[in-house]
Amino acid sequence: MSDRLEKRKIPRSSGSYRVEEDSFYDNCFDGYSLPVWFDCDTGVDDAIALLLLHQLECFNLLGISTVAGNVVLEKTSYNTLCVLELAGSDVPVYRGADRPLIRDQITAPEVHGTNGLGDVILPRPSLDLEKESAWDALHQAALDYKGELVLIAVGPLTNIGLALAKYRDLPRLLKRAVIMGGGARGGNTTPAAEFNVFADPEAAEILFSSGIPVTMCGLDMTMKACLTSEELEELGSLGSPQAEFARDCLQNTLRYSRSLGQPGVALHDPAAVLFAADDSIFESYPAWVRVETKGKRSYGKTVTDLFSDKKMPDRNHRVVIDVDRDKFKARLLYLMGRYGK
Amino acid sequence: MKKIPVILDGDPGHDDAIAWVLARAMPGLDILAVTTCCGNQTLEKTTYNAGRVMALIGLDVPLAAGRERPLLAEPIIAPSVHGVSGLDGPALPEPDRQPVAEEAAAFMARIIREHEEAVVLISTGPLTNIAALLLLYPHLKNRVRHIYLMGGGIGHGNWTPAAEFNILVDPEAADLVFSSGIPLTMAGLDVTERALVFPEDFERIRAVGNEVARVTAEWLDYFYQFHQKLGYPGAPVHDAVAVTALVRPDLLVMRDLFVEVETRGDYCRGATIGDSYGITGKKPNVRCIMDIDRQAFVDLLVKAVSHYGKGAGA
Repeated sequence: MSDRLEKRKIPRSSGSYRVEEDSFYDNCFDGYSLPVWFDCDTGVDDAIALLLLHQLECFNLLGISTVAGNVVLEKTSYNTLCVLELAGSDVPVYRGADRPLIRDQITAPEVHGTNGLGDVILPRPSLDLEKESAWDALHQAALDYKGELVLIAVGPLTNIGLALAKYRDLPRLLKRAVIMGGGARGGNTTPAAEFNVFADPEAAEILFSSGIPVTMCGLDMTMKACLTSEELEELGSLGSPQAEFARDCLQNTLRYSRSLGQPGVALHDPAAVLFAADDSIFESYPAWVRVETKGKRSYGKTVTDLFSDKKMPDRNHRVVIDVDRDKFKARLLYLMGRYGK
Repeated sequence: MKKIPVILDGDPGHDDAIAWVLARAMPGLDILAVTTCCGNQTLEKTTYNAGRVMALIGLDVPLAAGRERPLLAEPIIAPSVHGVSGLDGPALPEPDRQPVAEEAAAFMARIIREHEEAVVLISTGPLTNIAALLLLYPHLKNRVRHIYLMGGGIGHGNWTPAAEFNILVDPEAADLVFSSGIPLTMAGLDVTERALVFPEDFERIRAVGNEVARVTAEWLDYFYQFHQKLGYPGAPVHDAVAVTALVRPDLLVMRDLFVEVETRGDYCRGATIGDSYGITGKKPNVRCIMDIDRQAFVDLLVKAVSHYGKGAGA
């Protein structure tokens, strides 16, 4: 990846999962910080992603926007505040869209529980939402960090679609977008479509055709970024309230994964966050990507020319297809191990 | 051992031709007829090519030509891959027979009706004829034992990012066939792009020395020229995998999936959508071939051309 983080070593605590040769552990607490915006529909795996973001000092997290997705907007916004309070973060949170641009709304309570956090209850937060809308705040941040801001979006892309609809200068102002969504080879909500993209295909198509370089952390990779029940217990045994919360809500989601015959729970959104921090444990390639919005059986499918003989002229996106699972797990546990230290 | 009755339906095409060289050489197959469709080239050309290939390999069965167009779609042809004739490269004998008067679907129906056992169809082109058969003679569905087809891809396309050529040419026909309930084995791009015959393998085939071997090696030379430019280290002999699935399934890795064909969309028309993560709970309707023992596949092709001895097919 061309994003070079400036090397300036600062002291850090040593976690039990530190791998000596792995430059990630230098970079993630490096003095330079990448301006980042996070858009989410919290969500069990969004919650873990938020906990990781708070520990990644290579990021300057400017703001967080919420969107309807895994559960309704009221719950995703509330959950985001709850998790940030748990993390000890005071990053401003902006309310986003409460419904997709065009299609009817879908949610996924079977995966994320009725409350969206695997039915784990966190204390009522003292934090509150900002007054400004998600798209206005995102645009302002992009203006402030002209050309440098990286957008990490791990929910339906409705807010981004609206921001692009309202601000025609936005594509020039964003450095790139890293999304959790889609998949080159198949879906988890329909055979063709992944949940986040299927929840708002038109918004996703607006982003992919906007000119902003998008890195797609899709199911091809995120299904491999999974933890088993035993590994979740290992996570919980780190002992902090944050780690125990992560274990509890992931164990609840794991029950759903197992009903589909999967051995572990995929940490989709954390994988996108860790990719944005350091892509060295991932495998990704440049490609053309668009979203099908007209198909009968392929509605919401992310279509890429990565594997096809036919190559399209405009190949400014990146498709992530693999991750070193052991290193992913080590990084996750290392970052989570920083809580309570 | 009792022979398996088969009908070869295709749009030759270099890899169709090699698939038929393979099928003809298999002692376990009883080839009842050859039918043609438009695809790699126009119907006129694919039918002429079928006649030439049959003369080369000494396949003495009736030939029937199909529809000149896909069911609904505008025709698409692939001269960039197969040349202006649809089978450019080595000189071939002229056809030693004319197509029968009946069209392919009607002719297939007659063969299927008259044969005492259920018949296997091997499709190496667009599924136009087989769809027409199902539309016109739905009561014969149970008399089709199995369809082995080259087409589609669970992971990706080739002619568009999402769609493989054979399915893209006639997606409506493919949709009818995939949803027909007839047992299907799909040799899609997932496997056929791995069914690579390398230039050194061409020489093994050429060295067999007979006319069929020489022509097959030259077809591979021609076919490879196109694919080399795309970065392939060899010639992907797509269609021969459909025949391999019938005669040597032990060389293949297969996965049963629920698969549907997309007939609409800005980007996905002609895509075969497979339920890879098992989320619909629907019963698999397609046995999808996902990988192949490449070396054993090449050995099979060498063995097949050896079958033609010296001067076979004259």
